[in-house]
Amino acid sequence: MDCYTANWNPLGDSAFYRKYELYSMDWDLKEELRDCLVAAAPYGGPIALLRNPWRKEKAASVRPVLEIYSASGLPLASLLWKSGPVVSLGWSAEEELLCVQEDGVVLVYGLHGDFRRHFSMGNEVLQNRVLDARIFHTEFGSGVAILTGAHRFTLSANVGDLKLRRMPEVPGLQSAPSCWTTLCQDRVAHILLAVGPDLYLLDHAACSAVTPPGLAPGVSSFLQMAVSFTYRHLALFTDTGYIWMGTASLKEKLCEFNCNIRAPPKQMVWCSRPRSKERAVVVAWERRLMVVGDAPESIQFVLDEDSYLVPELDGVRIFSRSTHEFLHEVPVASEEIFKIASMAPGALLLEAQKEYEKESQKADEYLREIQELGQLTQAVQQCIEAAGHEHRPDMQKSLLRAASFGKCFLDRFPPDSFVRMCQDLRVLNAIRDYHIGIPLTYSQYKQLTIQVLLDRLVLRRLYPLAIQICEYLRLPEVQGVSRILAHWACYKVQQKDVSDEDVARAINQKLGDTPGVSYSDIAARAYGCGRTELAIKLLEYEPRSGEQVPLLLKMKRSKLALSKAIESGDTDLVFTVLLHLKNELNRGDFFMTLRNQPMALSLYRQFCKHQELETLKDLYNQDDNHQELGSFHIRASYAAEERIEGRVAALQSAADAFYKAKNEFAAKATEDQMRLLRLQRRLEDELGGRFVDLSLHDTVTTLVLGGHSKRAEQLARDFRIPDKRLWWLKLTALADLEDWEELEKFSKSKKSPIGYLPFVEICMKQHNKYEAKKYASRVGPEQKVKALLLVGDVAQAADVAIEHRNEAELTLVLSHCTGATDAATADKIQRARAQAQKK
Amino acid sequence: MAFPHRPDAPELPDFSMLKRLARDQLIYLLEQLPGKKDLFIEADLMSPLDRIANVSILKQHEVDKLYKVENKPAVSSSEQLCFLVRPRIKNMRYVASLVNADKLAGRTRKYKVIFSPQKFHACEMVLEEEGVYGDVSCDEWAFSLLPLDVDLLSMELPEFFRDYFLEGDQRWINTVAQALHLLSTLYGPFPNCYGIGRCTKMSYELWRKLEEEEDGETKGRRPEIGHVFLLDRDVDFVTALCSQVVYEGLVDDTFRVKCGSVDFGPEVTSSDRSLKVLLNAEDKVFNEIRNEHFSNVFGFLSQKARNLQAQYDRRRGMDIKQMKNFVSQELKGLKQEHRLLSVHIGACESIMKKKTKQDFQELIKTEHALLEGFNIRESTSYIEEHIDRQGSPIESLRLMCLLSITENGLIPKDYRSLKTQYLQSYGPEHLLTFSNLRRAGLLTEQAPGDTLTAVESKVSKLVTDKAAGKITDAFSSLAKRSNFRAISKKLNLIPRVDGEYDLKVPRDMAYVFSGAYVPLSCRLIEQVLERRSWQGLDEVVRLLNCNELAFTDVTKEDKASSESLRLIMVVFLGGCTFSEISALRFLGREKGYRFIFLTTAVTNSARLMEAMSEVKA
Repeated sequence: MDCYTANWNPLGDSAFYRKYELYSMDWDLKEELRDCLVAAAPYGGPIALLRNPWRKEKAASVRPVLEIYSASGLPLASLLWKSGPVVSLGWSAEEELLCVQEDGVVLVYGLHGDFRRHFSMGNEVLQNRVLDARIFHTEFGSGVAILTGAHRFTLSANVGDLKLRRMPEVPGLQSAPSCWTTLCQDRVAHILLAVGPDLYLLDHAACSAVTPPGLAPGVSSFLQMAVSFTYRHLALFTDTGYIWMGTASLKEKLCEFNCNIRAPPKQMVWCSRPRSKERAVVVAWERRLMVVGDAPESIQFVLDEDSYLVPELDGVRIFSRSTHEFLHEVPVASEEIFKIASMAPGALLLEAQKEYEKESQKADEYLREIQELGQLTQAVQQCIEAAGHEHRPDMQKSLLRAASFGKCFLDRFPPDSFVRMCQDLRVLNAIRDYHIGIPLTYSQYKQLTIQVLLDRLVLRRLYPLAIQICEYLRLPEVQGVSRILAHWACYKVQQKDVSDEDVARAINQKLGDTPGVSYSDIAARAYGCGRTELAIKLLEYEPRSGEQVPLLLKMKRSKLALSKAIESGDTDLVFTVLLHLKNELNRGDFFMTLRNQPMALSLYRQFCKHQELETLKDLYNQDDNHQELGSFHIRASYAAEERIEGRVAALQSAADAFYKAKNEFAAKATEDQMRLLRLQRRLEDELGGRFVDLSLHDTVTTLVLGGHSKRAEQLARDFRIPDKRLWWLKLTALADLEDWEELEKFSKSKKSPIGYLPFVEICMKQHNKYEAKKYASRVGPEQKVKALLLVGDVAQAADVAIEHRNEAELTLVLSHCTGATDAATADKIQRARAQAQKK
Repeated sequence: MAFPHRPDAPELPDFSMLKRLARDQLIYLLEQLPGKKDLFIEADLMSPLDRIANVSILKQHEVDKLYKVENKPAVSSSEQLCFLVRPRIKNMRYVASLVNADKLAGRTRKYKVIFSPQKFHACEMVLEEEGVYGDVSCDEWAFSLLPLDVDLLSMELPEFFRDYFLEGDQRWINTVAQALHLLSTLYGPFPNCYGIGRCTKMSYELWRKLEEEEDGETKGRRPEIGHVFLLDRDVDFVTALCSQVVYEGLVDDTFRVKCGSVDFGPEVTSSDRSLKVLLNAEDKVFNEIRNEHFSNVFGFLSQKARNLQAQYDRRRGMDIKQMKNFVSQELKGLKQEHRLLSVHIGACESIMKKKTKQDFQELIKTEHALLEGFNIRESTSYIEEHIDRQGSPIESLRLMCLLSITENGLIPKDYRSLKTQYLQSYGPEHLLTFSNLRRAGLLTEQAPGDTLTAVESKVSKLVTDKAAGKITDAFSSLAKRSNFRAISKKLNLIPRVDGEYDLKVPRDMAYVFSGAYVPLSCRLIEQVLERRSWQGLDEVVRLLNCNELAFTDVTKEDKASSESLRLIMVVFLGGCTFSEISALRFLGREKGYRFIFLTTAVTNSARLMEAMSEVKA
């Protein structure tokens, strides 16, 4: 272990920095890095290189090549650059390559060099050309900041939701700033720029001059500035070789350092670790790399080759033609364990485990020592944590072995932290592999989350590995395996050399009924690649018919969409398709389509009933649905038409339709109504009052009530009102008029077809007992008892009932016997009953 | 009186959660429009809304004034207008006219439409056509289940009946499926499902689809409700068409229960004000009489009154301490009971006045004759007379439908003459009513085969009306026996009565119709629950014309506790009546089940007929 700390370099008293190799690069670079535009995505992302012919102003005719490599130097894409001059390259958070052209157009490419889209940064940028551009990351996504030839800034904080913002002018700015950067504070993007000895902060509203506190005097120009990964810190490099480090808000100075090198550095980036107190900046010149922090001495490295720095969350990646290294502050746990002569519990535990393997009793001594201090738990935790920060699997293993060993002597140590670390490391080692080339550190991995990592694997088309990881981590299918399979399928449909059948089958075989897989999404992708047939085949696998519809509509398979929509049972969906069809087809075809789909038809009818009455009529016409057409006209006859003529005409149309529908009853009834309507109109003219819209019955009643008996009779004859009805009608009307004389006359006009009980009833209703009694005598024998009871003649009722020897009648009378007055009657009945029983 | 539940009867789930959910969602929606706003509420939604969030809650969330959505221009001065409506095209036009009027006046306000229970594409279409889609923001208040009582959930969608069973509009099926889905997420999956009817089948399938799409959530849960039985209203129209004689049903038929409460007019309250009374299990007096046959109710109430008096009388001879106790603890309860008692006695009196008249008895007699299938001619003339005398049009229609269904359609002669009489009595627009009724299968013509009718119509042209009638009768006797009769026989719906049916101690569910008829719907439920499937009921299903439409879906694995297996939810698509509820409550007490009722709306014969009636606007 003596050599383990060999690559540790102390900075000041409390911190060590180490640099180790991630990969030895065997990319076959044709150009020097310094001749290229370089962009490397954070979180171990891909590297893009574009030889920059425009800067050198030589052979512009030679088209440059855009090359994309994985972090381990494996080529991912290579394409001939055919567009305009590029000023800057950068990766978005979704690992899309943004290429900012001189004319302000930003071209977006995928990881595999596939063109995605482009957008412009606005007219102002187009006119003044792009002088410089930066791609930066905020919590909203990835932004682009542009410095134009007019020395104005334009930025968009999120290229996914492009909103261009033109920053205010810097007063008196004649030349380009010596350096500038984007800051992100309080969720707003600012620009910090240096002009000579002055610093300006640009926000949306204003430009303000700022001065870093405690800045050494004598500065006449700022050569370089750097913001930390989290936008919390800022470093400034001045022309005096002096470095100021402080908070990005420029309110506080952290430390300063004078390196005495006046040459402008090539790159300056922060190198710090989350939750660490140490602040350090890495400055790179042509052949020199310097780590400076809050210490009088700096750490210096010699650079053998052209190198490029990539700031990361917890360190700096440095790559060159032949190597790819990682420089970071040694994490606390590692430091405690591996520091020379460390007596930290973790260090002792590691030692104990080694002795144990050597079968030496020293193991016991070490262990006791830890236990005596009661630090075994802490020791195990330290070992687990340190294992996470190790890059080499053998070191990870020995630390985990130590932790596992220590765990044996602990009663209740929760196993999950250990298990999770083992799993995480397994995943990390897998993706750090040269072939995969995502050199994430443990902290970066945790920050990125497994979900995003899976996305990135999918983006690199590393489906099997992604699925293996999901299965290994037992992620729920919807988030894990099925999502990846869906992505795979979307990729698969783009393989144009495979036939539709094969693709569809292959996809279905792999995906089956995996929950969470949306076949419609895959089909949409297939359609996007122009493979309509394949899309339809894929849609057949979609279990939710509702999901099939929108795409089918888009592919102009409207009829298929309609039947699918109906299958789904979702009426809204059906309606959507209907409206689509209505616009797409001519009226006749549309109606024909409806005709075969009763559910859709009734839905559309409902809509028309309220919104498009004429269409409804056309629909019925088209279908030869004369019955409904008749109903339609009937409704129109009283809802839509005001004038009698109009109403009669509507009724005539209705009658015609009913005849066609062979509904003679309805036709006749309608014709009667036409007759009645005309007649009512005449009555109104001749007699005054309101007749129109009354029913036949009410019309006659009104006539009787108005004393127009003759007319009433005539009407009854004309419309063949049955006798019974007429009698009921007259009876009621005359009683209402309390025209007892007329009523009596009427009752004697001929034999009542409804009997005379109703006469009794109606008189009693009007509380005219006298009149009622008159009719009670005429009531037929079956109803006599009832009639007598109605007029209150209990005694006589009893007599009749006894005479009839009808048990039910007797009971009925008995129930009417109340109080003392009827006692005699009750007696009589009881006696009669008894007699009847005797017999 | 009111029968207690068996001691092993399961507890009902707590449905108040549904109210809380609906309230929270509504508040959230109101808060989406911060600041003062005027709320326009559709009339149909007012009562349900009142059960969820009263005015003071609305005011708390900055609702300034409340308006009813009606066909009048509104005079609101607020800068923000919020509309709470059912998804109907009519309402959209109302909103659009309001917005367009503002536009003409150069006024800009914020408009928000909240659709309950969901929004329909057609509505948005109308807004678009009227050119206001961009001015209005739309939201959904997924309030589809209102607990009206501890065992009764209503979707408060009376239009469901007409929309589906008449217009063939399937738009509410999704709402039903969503509501069922909500219940299964809240109260666990339903291990055993049965159903009958086309709409039922579609709703069920859609519901299953929803569950599949979101599975995992309900999987691990223990079911709280062991069985669910879904039923289309058109499977059993007969029961819904009968006059109700159980107290709760009678109150509904007489005074119209609306959203679980009823407005008792001056004739009941015997004062000049009307009184709104909430009818549910919390009303102790009502709870004891709701399921009783009306003939028992009055006796019970007077007994109750005597008891109450005795309680009051205890006052006498109390010392001061006892009196203090009495006043502080019992008096309030007694007063409350007193108040309720007087309300129900008033209601009873009012019902008696209306219903114990001869007319009503005759009516019931006719109904029973129709159900039992004797004296058809007599019943037909009774109906005719009812029409001739211009009795209530709804009542006449109801009797005609009852006749038609029990007889498998009217014989052509009656069909024509009754319709003619009806048109003469109540107006020609009812031609459309008849067309509706025919489409819904409620009032049809017997079809002894088309050839026969053709022959008959030719014959009737040649001979006099009377002769034609005889011929028709002869023809119709050739027609097969009515389905209803056959079902009635198979399921023993008409109990054989030996002597008087004692309505005080009911023997079977027939008591809800004075012992004359066991509700078909309830009998079906009973039979299926007994068999745990439709097995052995094939003939009945065939007679109901539901061959492909009856299903059983029973899960084998038995995670359900025996307690939950005795909890049964019955879903009525198209509405259920209080008589059916009472009958099933009775069945539950007999068998140790508890029933939960889910209905698109509480209905009765009048509501069904009104839904089919065409009225002049």
